[in-house]
Amino acid sequence: MEHSPDPAGEPESMAGTALERSNLYGFLAAIYRQEPGPELLSRINEPETRAALANAGVHLAEDFFGRPQEDVLKELTLEYTRLFIGPGGHISPHASVHMEDEGVGSLWGESTAQVKCFIESLGFEYKPDYSGLPDHIAVELEFMEALTAREAGAWGKDDREEAGNCLAVEKTFLDKHLILWIPAFCEKVEKESSLPFYTEMARLTAAFIRSERKALTPPRTDRRRR
Amino acid sequence: MATRREFLQLGAVTAVAGFAGAPALTAARELRFKGNKGFSPKTGEERKAIPSACWQCVTRCPFVGYVENQRLVSIGPQMNSIRTEGHLCAKGQAGVNQVYDPDRILYPLKRVGKRGEGQWKRVSWNEALTEVAARLEKLRDDGHPEKFMFHYGRMKASASKLIKSVFLATYGTKTIGNHTSICEGGKWTAQELTWGSHYDNWDIDNTRFVLNFGSNCLEAHTNHTPIAERLARALVDRDVRMVTFDVRLSNTAAKSTRWVPIKPGTDLAVVLAMCNVVMEEDLYRGEGENFLEFCKVTAHPDATVAEKVAVLKSHFAQYTPEWAEKISGVSADTIRSVAVEFATSKPACLLSYRGAVAHENGNDTERAVQTLAAITGNIDNPGGRCKAVGASWKYPHGPKDKPKAKKLKILDGFKGEAAFPTHHMSHHVLKMIKDGRAGRPDVYMWYCYEPVYANGAVSENIEVLKDESLIPYSVCVSPFYSESAALADLILPDATYLERWDWEDMVSPSQVAEYYLRQPMVAPLGEVRDFGDVCCELAERMGFPLGFNSKEEFVRESCEMTPGVKDVGGFEYMKAQGVWHDPKAKPKYYSYRKHVKLEALAGDGVILDDATGTYWNWHKSKAKSEEEAKKKGYAHTKNAYKGYVGQQIGTSTYSGFKPDKVNKSGYFEIYSSLMEEKGFPPLPTYTAVPSHETMRSNELILTTYKVNVQSHSRTQNCKWLTEIYHNNPGWINPETAAVLGIAEGDTIRVTSAIGEMETTAKVTPAVIPGIISVSHHCGHWEYGRYASGNKSPMASDDDPDLKRKWWVRNGVHPNWIIPNNPDPVNGQHCWMDTVVTVAKV
Repeated sequence: MEHSPDPAGEPESMAGTALERSNLYGFLAAIYRQEPGPELLSRINEPETRAALANAGVHLAEDFFGRPQEDVLKELTLEYTRLFIGPGGHISPHASVHMEDEGVGSLWGESTAQVKCFIESLGFEYKPDYSGLPDHIAVELEFMEALTAREAGAWGKDDREEAGNCLAVEKTFLDKHLILWIPAFCEKVEKESSLPFYTEMARLTAAFIRSERKALTPPRTDRRRR
Repeated sequence: MATRREFLQLGAVTAVAGFAGAPALTAARELRFKGNKGFSPKTGEERKAIPSACWQCVTRCPFVGYVENQRLVSIGPQMNSIRTEGHLCAKGQAGVNQVYDPDRILYPLKRVGKRGEGQWKRVSWNEALTEVAARLEKLRDDGHPEKFMFHYGRMKASASKLIKSVFLATYGTKTIGNHTSICEGGKWTAQELTWGSHYDNWDIDNTRFVLNFGSNCLEAHTNHTPIAERLARALVDRDVRMVTFDVRLSNTAAKSTRWVPIKPGTDLAVVLAMCNVVMEEDLYRGEGENFLEFCKVTAHPDATVAEKVAVLKSHFAQYTPEWAEKISGVSADTIRSVAVEFATSKPACLLSYRGAVAHENGNDTERAVQTLAAITGNIDNPGGRCKAVGASWKYPHGPKDKPKAKKLKILDGFKGEAAFPTHHMSHHVLKMIKDGRAGRPDVYMWYCYEPVYANGAVSENIEVLKDESLIPYSVCVSPFYSESAALADLILPDATYLERWDWEDMVSPSQVAEYYLRQPMVAPLGEVRDFGDVCCELAERMGFPLGFNSKEEFVRESCEMTPGVKDVGGFEYMKAQGVWHDPKAKPKYYSYRKHVKLEALAGDGVILDDATGTYWNWHKSKAKSEEEAKKKGYAHTKNAYKGYVGQQIGTSTYSGFKPDKVNKSGYFEIYSSLMEEKGFPPLPTYTAVPSHETMRSNELILTTYKVNVQSHSRTQNCKWLTEIYHNNPGWINPETAAVLGIAEGDTIRVTSAIGEMETTAKVTPAVIPGIISVSHHCGHWEYGRYASGNKSPMASDDDPDLKRKWWVRNGVHPNWIIPNNPDPVNGQHCWMDTVVTVAKV
């Protein structure tokens, strides 16, 4: 597990890893936060991003990159709205809707309160002008983005305690929350989307969350006391 | 899909901040990895969080209370506390039950009919305080303020300063009783005889080995949670080894690396034998030898270290492990191996508590423990047994002109009963009143104290408290209708700790002081009032206003005058944050090694005492002139210790081990001239517990203990706790049970010289043969329905849980059959020495 975050790891490489993870969380948060804007699309269009996406198994058709940007943006905007906003049957991007025991339609469910509590208990605050719900996928990915960025900063200062704390919180949020709903949500998006962009992003999201969880779970060892 | 590496490579090129829409979150300046926030599970609404401090036990942990719709709904840990590091025990969390106990007393009550009959009428505060003030004024005006006796159980920090140092001092009585002698006063006296001011902090965070004599610190301790959480971490995370000597497999013993069963009252033999091993095998060399420079080991203060070593070798030679094995039942091999492990694990921490010291030989047990720590260099060092560090608050001292206070000589037991009752003999106060030769109080008032229930010899306590010819007028200050309250003439309903203000100062296990605040969670229920506020009013009524009108004002002023606290924002800061410590403060160790400045030695009134090598300021003692001071000398001038300046050791003068309460030198006194002068051996010496020497073959020793979810007397009304723990069978070893024909679950009668009680037998190898072990905590016959099943007068029925209370038994209270028996040196109540017979009913 050469890339597993490990509190006892080398600070320099740990900082790099955390920053890369943070960037990817931020990227995915941007994908779900709103319909893509021209800057985001340009970033995706950059050759090194395209290469990295391809390497990570994200296959966007050639015509995605070839067509005029305005056309692509319009198409994505319509699809984003259809998929995540409505009107009519859409896939709610809120955790509580996909959590077990809560059932469809349970916006602002019990788990929403728990997520809000969890995020706020660490000292984060929802911005007063944020009008969405506390458990939107973009907020949750943004939360992970911020945590991993903080972790990277801690490694940079060789503050192992803070870095370890960040890792512990990331793991808790992955284990107790993200893993419980994001893969299921992504599966629905994959099925529903008529554009390869969202299908591929959903696949990427689910795979990354699984990979994160695996990486943050230490290999089983014999922990018996001497 | 992709490998981890490919995800990370993707992450390297996907930084999109700034053009990906507005984020929803703002991060706090500092990430709070731990809570201090509460949310309603029903609505998700954030609850009002109020930082405050516990009072369920003397540890007084900082906590955060959560309030919803003006009701206290939960209590959680204070995550920013350096003492608890974000932990709070079950007792602390169940504090919620204290406020909403349906059996609380909400109004002042005055007795009608005979004392103890249980007939009460509700009176106004005005009527109650008019009556109290008239009685107190009369005593004062007659020239007998000392006939007002005030007796407290727990009164700490700001409450102690306001009530005792300001109110009672300005009134003029020093007839002030406490409860330390039924706690661990004897341990403190032994410490005062060795290293000065009492309290040993165990530096668990830095230790490599823990040796424990008779402390159940994972379940109950004066610094319970701060010690327990550190100990758990040491045992689990750092694989620190811990050996516990105890007569019972307590949970602390069970979690130790090793439990060593030992006969009650014989810890002293084992500790002395360990001293023998350390000296015989030259394990004192190094840190221990260096420390001996600061120790007094012979009558001569200027003995060399070599001479001291020779004296210790010769003194401890008699205490071989083989000798101790015969007395204690602990094998010589075990004593030897544990002694070696303790002495060679550097640093190592030595723990002791009531299991070891609440015996008739307890004073020398603690002195021997101190000695063992000293000769291995484990005193006031990182990882060892350290001098306590707590907050030093400044506070308003009240009126400048205070009368010379008077006192009745009923606080320290009968003349000659104990040589150094430096923490008084509270368990003999009622006996002294009954005797009457030293005078009796006209007004006996008690506060946060259970004179009937908490002391031994319960029947006698009831008899005295009930007798109007012995105590003409009694006032109970309490939120609850306890066994003692039931015998009062007047009950002043006190606020619970969740409805009042205080500043707090309990010892910090990290050797860095923590300042913290207690503030009301909710407005006081009914008409209850914090007794601090009542003192302000009483003083006003009696014509000596204190200069502040409430405890809140007292606390606010203290915050604004205490260095550090005032600089970060004083009262407002403390209200918002609850806790403060100096982030730049370094843990305090080796304070005795500080050199005393020459100016201090040249100060007015400072003289050198040749006999002890102690510099002291005679002005601060009772000496009338320098001539008298020099003639009598430091050791024999009353209150000379109050003028202590420093200790001459070789050619230097050190701050040394500052004395408290007795005129000890500034040395760490393994050899105590004070003990010698009172006719006790100066070096720690074995004596057996006399009553154990004369036991008949059918007799057992009764020992008591505590569990993790109750305090001794004042938590049983907490339904969450009493649902968990409400019954206390007698633990008996199978061997003993077989001899007595007792089987598991049998009803048994336990009989001592002063009474008998019935309980059930728990036959278990988790206690040693020859004893019966019964916990404290149970057997209340008042204190409300959750504690005893009995309703208090004027109780309400509005707690739905009253219908859900499923337990019927409330256990037994062993104090009925434990006589009040003081340690001959320090007056400590010898809880663990009672000899009993046990028979199947």
